[in-house]
Amino acid sequence: MAYWLRVYRALLKMAWSMMVQYRFTVLIWAVWGFVGPLISLAVWSATTAARGGAVSNGGVSFSRSDFAAYFLVFMIFGHLTMSWDAFEFAWRVRDGNLSPRLLRPLNPIHGDAAANVGFKTFTSLLLLPIWIALFVILRPTPPADAIQLLLAVPAVLLAAVLRYVLQYSLALIAFWTTRVDAINQLYFTLDSFLAGRIAPLALLPGWLGTMAVASPFRAMGSFPVELALGRVPPADVASGFVLQLVWLAVALALFRVLWAAGVRQYSAVGA
Amino acid sequence: MRAAQIEIQHLTKVYRVTEREAGVAASIGSLFRRRYREVRAVEDVSFRVAPGEIVGFLGPNGAGKTTTLKMLAGLLHPTSGSATVLGYTPWKRQSAYLRRISLVMGNRNQLMWDIPPMDSFLVNQAIYDIPEREFRETLDELVDLLNLEPLLRKPVRGLSLGERMKCELAAALLHRPEVLFLDEPTLGVDVTMQQRIRQFVAEHNRRHGATVLLTSHYMADVTALCKRVVVIHHGRVLHDGQLAALADRMAPFKLVRLDLDREANGLDAGRYGEVLESDGGKLVLRVPRAETSACVARLLSELPVVDLTVEDPPIEQVIDLVFQTAPGETARTV
Repeated sequence: MAYWLRVYRALLKMAWSMMVQYRFTVLIWAVWGFVGPLISLAVWSATTAARGGAVSNGGVSFSRSDFAAYFLVFMIFGHLTMSWDAFEFAWRVRDGNLSPRLLRPLNPIHGDAAANVGFKTFTSLLLLPIWIALFVILRPTPPADAIQLLLAVPAVLLAAVLRYVLQYSLALIAFWTTRVDAINQLYFTLDSFLAGRIAPLALLPGWLGTMAVASPFRAMGSFPVELALGRVPPADVASGFVLQLVWLAVALALFRVLWAAGVRQYSAVGA
Repeated sequence: MRAAQIEIQHLTKVYRVTEREAGVAASIGSLFRRRYREVRAVEDVSFRVAPGEIVGFLGPNGAGKTTTLKMLAGLLHPTSGSATVLGYTPWKRQSAYLRRISLVMGNRNQLMWDIPPMDSFLVNQAIYDIPEREFRETLDELVDLLNLEPLLRKPVRGLSLGERMKCELAAALLHRPEVLFLDEPTLGVDVTMQQRIRQFVAEHNRRHGATVLLTSHYMADVTALCKRVVVIHHGRVLHDGQLAALADRMAPFKLVRLDLDREANGLDAGRYGEVLESDGGKLVLRVPRAETSACVARLLSELPVVDLTVEDPPIEQVIDLVFQTAPGETARTV
């Protein structure tokens, strides 16, 4: 344990010193995270106004300030759970730069995970004033349930780990094709709808909503957001966490299998 | 020989590569029917290296040197054969093994490009779990031997190739690996820096008794560091032994240098051997190895010789000779 703390502390320090080197690029990347949620919010605000103040589906209803709360929290949680390793990993496999990393007695995922955490902590500090300003300007509905708000903390951490491991596993496909862009595209498309980025899942038509709720996309997407807003029916809170854990177990298993097979493949064709 | 630290037996690596003609039609065709070609990069290579030995691994481009080193460092799975290093099978990639070795590749870097080397060193300290005192000691020694002090805090991207190589070496040695694989460590660096790196490797080996397996295109690296060389060509071992013995085995001639007390004009030196150089009274002849003593006796009795020396050809020439031959042939045809 002490070993892992030392390793992650050193890796994080390195990640931060790299962030500082590229602070402007990093900030531009981070600001990109605003675009999606703000567009969704604009669309839904207009829809709400056209529908006389609220959009409903079944027993669920969203007002303009509900949408504001949903997409603002999604913006923050989306930032805290984002992952972009697939691009970098594929590139590393293609040009052989994975080799020096394979020589170390440490799986490269740790260095990348630390860089991911480093990026998020660094940029969150920079973005904090903007997030606060947006809350003041957009006047979102305040959280409805203090306990669910607290539970959103472990949920968002689990979501971040799940998304990270799952995306990294997808990145490992680069061992076989060295072109993972198409698979990534599919992942991002599914993620837009099933994670609740475009619309809250409660507003999706029945069958699509049910599929989305069971999918890993909700577990790493809107579940923590719904918790923070106190919108998860009390009976579904536990099952939401169970789904997160199950998907995490699946993602970890997938990672282990793909990693072992992938490294063997990489080392068979010429590292 | 003492108990081997590196033991390779019948190591073979065959790559399967796809092949197609240039052009759009061929490209579409390859979608449906892929053609593969087998490349036998390493073929039945066996040798042993004792603890603390520095062995030069020689061969032209594509001979299989790097492939062998990568297999020994755990980056490649062999197609067949076995290898143990420090008692481990390298390609199982156990952490305990990776902690005790290092591979330095002249054309790859492990240092992070955007930050100073010192930051990467600290990460290595954590990853290799090096105790603080040992880390400081080793670092001080490396800084001293490689003159790293001015480089430690500059971002890597601002360093010259030679400076970067020195830092790469330091990063690879911080955990005091017992076995060090060096793949072209002096690639692209200037002569002074090459010499510095050579001295450093020798010094490191002397101080810590590390076993070193080194590949290089520069014969000077090899002659300076390695008593023993393994010559590999077309994936096979051609010679394993003393560097000096390589000339005996591979070069079928000797060079005779003559200093005559008058100009050699008009002298038919071709009678004694092949004339390689002729400059006034100075001659260099190439003489078949078996006839050397008879030839020298004739030269001394028939010519006004002031000075005469018999040498092996320069090792570069010997190696060149070896590498020009096709697989299966010996160098004796030249």
